[in-house]
Amino acid sequence: MSTATLKGPRWVELRLHRTALRTLLGAVLLAAAVTAFLRWGAGAYPPVSDCGSGPCEATFLGFPDGEYLLREAMLKASHALLLLPLAVGVFVAGPFVARELESGAHKLAWTQSVTPVRWLASRLTTAAAIGAAVALTLMAVFRFGAADLLGSSNMHWADRGMYEASGPVLVAYCLFAVAVGTLTGLLVRRTLLAASLTGLVTGAVLALLGSLRWQLVPVTQASGPTTTMEPLWIKALPRGAFMTDSGVTNAAGERFVARACIPDQMAHFSCPSDTRITGWFLDYHPRSHFWYTQFIETGIVLALAAAAVWAAFLVLRRRTP
Amino acid sequence: MTGSAIEAAALGKTYGRRGPALDDCSFRLPTGRICAVVGPNGAGKSTLLALAAGLARPTAGRLTVLGTTPAAARARIAYVAQDKPLHPQLSIADTLRLGAELNPDRWDAEFAQRVVEEGELDPAARVRTLSGGQRTRVALALALGKRAELLLLDEPMADLDPLARHQLMGTLMAQAAEHGTTVVMSSHIVGELADSCDHLLLVSGGRIRLGGPIDDLVAAHCLVTGRRPAAELAPHTVVESRATGRGTTALIRPDGPIAADWEAQEPSLEDLLLAHLRSPGTPALLTPEAERKVAR
Repeated sequence: MSTATLKGPRWVELRLHRTALRTLLGAVLLAAAVTAFLRWGAGAYPPVSDCGSGPCEATFLGFPDGEYLLREAMLKASHALLLLPLAVGVFVAGPFVARELESGAHKLAWTQSVTPVRWLASRLTTAAAIGAAVALTLMAVFRFGAADLLGSSNMHWADRGMYEASGPVLVAYCLFAVAVGTLTGLLVRRTLLAASLTGLVTGAVLALLGSLRWQLVPVTQASGPTTTMEPLWIKALPRGAFMTDSGVTNAAGERFVARACIPDQMAHFSCPSDTRITGWFLDYHPRSHFWYTQFIETGIVLALAAAAVWAAFLVLRRRTP
Repeated sequence: MTGSAIEAAALGKTYGRRGPALDDCSFRLPTGRICAVVGPNGAGKSTLLALAAGLARPTAGRLTVLGTTPAAARARIAYVAQDKPLHPQLSIADTLRLGAELNPDRWDAEFAQRVVEEGELDPAARVRTLSGGQRTRVALALALGKRAELLLLDEPMADLDPLARHQLMGTLMAQAAEHGTTVVMSSHIVGELADSCDHLLLVSGGRIRLGGPIDDLVAAHCLVTGRRPAAELAPHTVVESRATGRGTTALIRPDGPIAADWEAQEPSLEDLLLAHLRSPGTPALLTPEAERKVAR
């Protein structure tokens, strides 16, 4: 983090945002320290298997045991990591780009010997490098904290938060936030407005792709004959797989939910006219789909980021000679 | 013939639907001049300087700076915007370091340092703690440290006290004389720049009204008084005429000898500028030196 060896616009950017950088470094170190402490606590205060009659007594900082606290903290951390791209985008759009244009300080930067295009390129690479580094560091910290818990309840690889926190998509979303933040900052030129808009756009893309991602790779399907409502599909579901749909079919092959249609149709459910069960079905993503989905989603997000970068240069070129 | 610091050909700039800020401006500023860009508020002075500094694109016409485009001349131009933008969180020393980092091939650290020291400013002081005049000094130090061939200063002296103004103007003039720097300063206060400048551009309503060496411009006009109606000044271009007592006072551009019954005297620069600002209908006057050479 030494600024002594840095030159040119990069020195200027890091010097201008020195306080933010120091705060960021402090926050990352704090996250690592807290995680290490909680991991130690989980090892030193394991769950008590038998506490006689009545509820178990608190053993670790008022929690039932150290592992319980670690699990809760890591669950929250996985959700908090979802907010990282938003935070990156808000900072880049607001204080990093728009504030300079709003205060008029860009007139200072653009009339030195460095061209506006180099000014923009330098800002983008600085923000992208720092954004990616922070994402990777926090993911490593998360991995370190949650290593023994992965796969247990609420920590499934396909869960929101868990999925993003354990693959390249999070880095891609941070880079996307940098690109969109820069573009919005250049276009809007108002610190608060640019920051809010970028948070909104980044959050919307994160939510939208989050609900579309399990359609990127076709699901694996399983089915078999049955005449009862008994959930036979459970036996077909591989260990660790992510189920997306299950139910029964009639002779025509129409899918429906047995309990919602037999004996009478429940509100808000659609049922075929023929509700005689002839088979069961199951749609799921096996564990191996994790990496396919991660890489396809990463590709989509990076393509969107590239489009935003291209647009940002276009905006700048139109504005300055 | 010396080169041109700025050459504008039918230059125009329109911001959105607000109407043109600059409209069909053609002029030439030879290098080595100290040029005052004078005009009322909103005349287009800042727009002209921003275009020359490469901060905005003209919407019409062409602008050549130091023989090339404003973008290509970026390293050879220094610009101080009207609001003296600086980063408030930086110290003065870091602000000068910024100048050094962004102008690696031309930065004169010692000179920039000296400009700051003359104002008895503490290099460790943050820009946000400075007064308006002190900020101006730091902004000028940043511009001067670049050792530019063309200095574009938008209302540079507006918030300086008379002592600092005199001192900074002295530094500026010494630098200009020593290195042959062309300086362009805008102001809406006429007297502010009259003493230091040798060249003038009068801008109003987005157009160039007068352009040329101040002495030539003054010599091209005459302030006449006589007991006759203004209509009798017909062969001359009457810029402005006023009835005074039983006669007429008029500022004219003489065309041939002036009739003996008019008493003629040389106008002051202020007379000249005010008369032109009050009479927007008067045709523009560019001295041959300030006229753009027609393209071959």
